[in-house]
Amino acid sequence: MLPDFLRILIAAPVCWILYITIDVYFKLPEQGGVSGATAIAKDIERGGGALHGGYMMGNIVSSPDASAGTLLASCGVTAAGIPGGLFAALLVYIGNRICYDPGYAGTTGAVVATFVVFGFTQIGFAASDFVAGMVIAILTIQGLSHSHASRLLATLWRWRS
Amino acid sequence: MDSLLVVIFGFIAVIGALTTAFNREPYIKLISMSMMIGGIFPFIVDRGFLDVAAATAVIAPISTIFILLICRKGEP
Amino acid sequence: MEVALLIALSVCAIIAAYAAVRVVLEKRPLRKLPYLNVLSFAISGSLLLILPHPLSIVVAVAYFVGSTLESNAIASTYAGGIQKDG
Repeated sequence: MLPDFLRILIAAPVCWILYITIDVYFKLPEQGGVSGATAIAKDIERGGGALHGGYMMGNIVSSPDASAGTLLASCGVTAAGIPGGLFAALLVYIGNRICYDPGYAGTTGAVVATFVVFGFTQIGFAASDFVAGMVIAILTIQGLSHSHASRLLATLWRWRS
Repeated sequence: MDSLLVVIFGFIAVIGALTTAFNREPYIKLISMSMMIGGIFPFIVDRGFLDVAAATAVIAPISTIFILLICRKGEP
Repeated sequence: MEVALLIALSVCAIIAAYAAVRVVLEKRPLRKLPYLNVLSFAISGSLLLILPHPLSIVVAVAYFVGSTLESNAIASTYAGGIQKDG
């Protein structure tokens, strides 16, 4: 049994890799889904960032993506186990439809994250560690430095395409 | 609820309210109002009023959207 | 309350306070919205950690989707009128 802080610090990179992989796989950095996302991307580019990373950050702001799916699925596993995670995935799909989004990325992220988090609870992690880890993971993308984060995301997008 | 959490969420609500009151630009007022409502939520959930919290979570953004529909910028 | 839950809740609350300070200090409205997104992530995580009950999932999802919809509306209106895709 690892100490508590160490478990959160291990859970954060797992969540980071999970949601960045799913978001880049579903081509979120390609273009802004709605006009608000495009406006945020242009503003980040004017502040010294990269355009495609800005598109992905704008898409995360303006509709629930794999990041929201990961957070809410780990919340669901904390409250009610596997059925809670799948229920959260259903609610994320409904929320995606409200925000004019096809909803593939969010629903896939929630379903995958449910099973990943459940798998980690079998080897001694608590599901609440993944809630805190996901908050740390979204902080590193959206909260620290917009220009550096968008350049990093643009590099990842160049590998994908 | 722990006293650290009371201080932090109260700080978020108060700083949101002050920014809403004293900033001049209307969009910054709307963003700060969203922040103020986010700071109030944990206190509602802490007492166990989950239905009140769900209703507030739906009503607050819809009222913001109606404000934006009424007084939006002119067509470019 | 369990110790693991309390530590996770403290991490969420501290990140929420940091995001609130960054929202206030940032000048341009469109650059405020990613920090506001971090704030709503932290608050909707801590809503569930305060009261781990199945109905809390509905509250967390409703708060998060509502906050996202609000950011979407603010950004697309600030970008110049509500267009046909937003």
